[in-house]
Amino acid sequence: MNNAEQIKETIARIFPDVETVICYQQGFDGLHATPYFISIPEQVNKLIWNPLCAQNLTSYLPSIKKKVGIVVKGCDSRTIIQYLQEGLIDRAKVVIIGVPCTGVISVKKVLREIGHQPVVDVVFDDNGNIVVKTQKGEKRLAIADVCPDKCTTCQYPTPLVYDHLIGEPIASNKPKEDVYKDIREFDAKTLEEKRAYWEKEFERCIRCYACRNACPMCICQDSCIAETREPHWISQRLSLQEKFMFHMIHAAHLAGRCVECGECERVCPMDIPVAKLKKKINAEMKELFNYETGVNPDDKPPMYTFNVDEAKIKEHKL
Amino acid sequence: MRVGVFICHCGNNIAGTVDVARVAAEMRKLPGVVYATNYMYTCSEPGQEEIKQAIKKENLDRIVVAACSPRMHENTFRKTIEKAGLNRYFLEMANIREHISWIGEDKELNTAKAIDAVKMAVAKVMKNKPLYSSSFKVNKRVMVIGGGVAGMQAALDCADGGLDVVLVEKSPSIGGMMARLDKTFPTIDCSICILGPKMVDVAQHEKIKLHAYSEIDEIKGYVGNYQVKVRKKATYVDWTKCTGCGACMEKCPTRNAYDNFNFGVAPTRAINIPFPQAIPKKAKIDPAFCRQFTKGKCGVCAKICPTGAINYEMQDEIVTEDVGAIIVATGYGLFDLDKFPEYGAGRYPDVITGIQYERILNASGPTSGHILRPSDQTEPKTIVFVSCAGSRDKSLGVPYCSNFCCMYIAKQAILTKDHVPDSQSYVFYMDIRSPGKGYDEFTRRAQEDYGVKYIRGRVSRIYPKGKKMVVRGADTLLGTQVEVEADLVVLATAVVSAPGAAGMAEKLHISYDTFGFYVESHPKLRPVETNTSGVFLAGACQGPKDIPASVGQGSAAASKVQALFSKDMLESDPAIAQVNTNACVGCLKCVRTCPFQAIKEEELRNGKKVAKVIETVCAGCGVCTSTCPCGAIQLQHFTDNQLLAEVNAICQG
Repeated sequence: MNNAEQIKETIARIFPDVETVICYQQGFDGLHATPYFISIPEQVNKLIWNPLCAQNLTSYLPSIKKKVGIVVKGCDSRTIIQYLQEGLIDRAKVVIIGVPCTGVISVKKVLREIGHQPVVDVVFDDNGNIVVKTQKGEKRLAIADVCPDKCTTCQYPTPLVYDHLIGEPIASNKPKEDVYKDIREFDAKTLEEKRAYWEKEFERCIRCYACRNACPMCICQDSCIAETREPHWISQRLSLQEKFMFHMIHAAHLAGRCVECGECERVCPMDIPVAKLKKKINAEMKELFNYETGVNPDDKPPMYTFNVDEAKIKEHKL
Repeated sequence: MRVGVFICHCGNNIAGTVDVARVAAEMRKLPGVVYATNYMYTCSEPGQEEIKQAIKKENLDRIVVAACSPRMHENTFRKTIEKAGLNRYFLEMANIREHISWIGEDKELNTAKAIDAVKMAVAKVMKNKPLYSSSFKVNKRVMVIGGGVAGMQAALDCADGGLDVVLVEKSPSIGGMMARLDKTFPTIDCSICILGPKMVDVAQHEKIKLHAYSEIDEIKGYVGNYQVKVRKKATYVDWTKCTGCGACMEKCPTRNAYDNFNFGVAPTRAINIPFPQAIPKKAKIDPAFCRQFTKGKCGVCAKICPTGAINYEMQDEIVTEDVGAIIVATGYGLFDLDKFPEYGAGRYPDVITGIQYERILNASGPTSGHILRPSDQTEPKTIVFVSCAGSRDKSLGVPYCSNFCCMYIAKQAILTKDHVPDSQSYVFYMDIRSPGKGYDEFTRRAQEDYGVKYIRGRVSRIYPKGKKMVVRGADTLLGTQVEVEADLVVLATAVVSAPGAAGMAEKLHISYDTFGFYVESHPKLRPVETNTSGVFLAGACQGPKDIPASVGQGSAAASKVQALFSKDMLESDPAIAQVNTNACVGCLKCVRTCPFQAIKEEELRNGKKVAKVIETVCAGCGVCTSTCPCGAIQLQHFTDNQLLAEVNAICQG
């Protein structure tokens, strides 16, 4: 991607209309990108733009009161649309720099490939590969092989909402039917199999709440039900039951809200497929209400309404 | 915490299938329970006295009563413990009658289930918090919806009691169904002669404000403070100028407009006054038939009107009325005859409905009270009445009895004989239902003095034969088929709920049954109340009813309103949603899901935006509490922790 220069130019232009711009810079090594807050145009030099810029920066938006600029990929833009649907941000206070994206990289997958060696340098070649140099040598990996799962079925590579678009829009070449393919496959398992699967996965959970903290749609912030005594839905015990309960609550609270950005899964230190639960509920929401999160700012989230009768839900009749 | 548990035998109702002594013994083992006993009738005076004594003697601070449904006696026991000095919300009831003893026969299983139920109540009561009601002002103005005889009676009784009344009537005149009747059973007195004075009273009463030809658009608010949007439909006649002279009606060139008042027995004019005694006696234009509207030119009425009242440009007008209580008296509708192909109603002009016949009998009706059949305007000599045309027929979706048809058929048969002395009436009936005062004597008079032939059996088919209608049916007493060649057939069509009854119920937040009739608070003991406080029922909107019953209910509803308005301040129910502003993150999902618009956004002093429950509007339904992601909004008396305590009691025990 050689969009970095264009992004820098655009950022320079939107100052001083905005007070801050949120973008990416290099982290502690070449394999890690980290969020970067620019408050004067000169800082823009440290900005980077490459497939390692995987974080969903929009998570910061609801808590920022001043006018901000933000760099978003297609998937990130869905969060902004969901925020707009739920009235969590003011559109007038956000300047969106949209960048069409061909897929990001899962750092976890790369680290697995290089055997968790310290990284010396990272370069990208022109053929869609990432070359990671370590002290033990160099590894060339196709980006498509180390992308997060969400990229394999991405429907919205071009941001759905933006003020400035960098480069040309890209259309998705992935079939729409495949979006919930993994969910359908999982659904085919028996109840016992599913239970065994989740017990095995959640057994590892250390209740660090990283999934919750990274989630852009977790709006309860310091009032999370996982930590309150009033109401006391779950205790602090580290039992499987309590872990289950926490993840179920998290998933239920995201019903018809999860924008499938995959941040929960990306940040999980225990590699638990937590996004799957939320995706399953989204598949149900699609089925019941024909609703897809974060695609149209004028949509009304179904869980934000109260109807006496729903077309696809059989209510008890007298 | 010192919990006292009282297990009621309810005679044999509970003790018959639940080992109450064992339940009490089990409760004594629970931590926190210091006293548990069982008693024959806990709701009786000595039963309540025992609770009071135990509270004093044992120093109890929480009470569990395991008995019937809280809908029966929760209030009783709340008052009991309040008298003994406890907050009324320190009472919890376990329903071991409707939920347990009445539905299971196995005493062992029932007892185990009862133990669980009472355990849950104990766990809940230990989490209960004292709650206090606040009070709010009452707007002592009442709205009556529907100007039939029930609504009029309610309006008059309220107004005579000194209340301001707003009466809203859908059609252009008050009077309802009764105004259309000829005579009334069992006294054969003229219907409009007894109703007319009441209508005039309504019109002249200085406390009654009448909105005729108006409908309810929206109802907001709560008991004591309702805001009702009334849509005054466009009449295209300025009623402040109209004198009701009728000149327009006489000159109107459109002579084929459907006559709602006469149920289509004869056509009327596009501009019309429904009947001579109409209140208000004002003209209105039916734009579906008026040439000015359908063809764009005519204007005859505008030319002829001596006061210049015609206004073709008139629009619906919306007025908002603030009232403290609402009496619903929206009446009934009649069964759709299209569902009766075998009776041919609607296809054969000489098969008519009871209410149409009523209009034919009526001196102010289209035939001026002469019985002439619709097809050829001749006097019918043989008349067949078919009762239960739709009623008591499960297959037609009307399993219930329509209540007053047997009586009006007898009346119409008697009147027929009076009008046409050489006529013969036949009545096909399933059963003669005449349980009112003087009613059975009346139906016997029809048979014995007026020679009406009653045939017990149902009609299978009605078909034309020359100028006659052949009515084929069964005579189950003789065990044969019978055929009667009639000049006119009158169907006693089933009474159904008023058109739009369900929509109205949803505006009022009251419940309705499968048939669209409104559901009273208790079928025996609270017949005119609804479960929405401040909304009362009168007349046939609650179920088919004759005139005396409707009038009685109208008066009853009025007395309920008087009792409600006897206080200047009302107490609010504290079992409503409450926001913990520390935990609220201001996502305002609750605002969007609240079915009562009872939550609004509020800005705290530190600038934080949070949800705020409008106490008096909140109905305590709990939708917001299940919506709130962080549990910041809790329904008092049913908090998450209280419910979790119950769940834990049953799951961990």
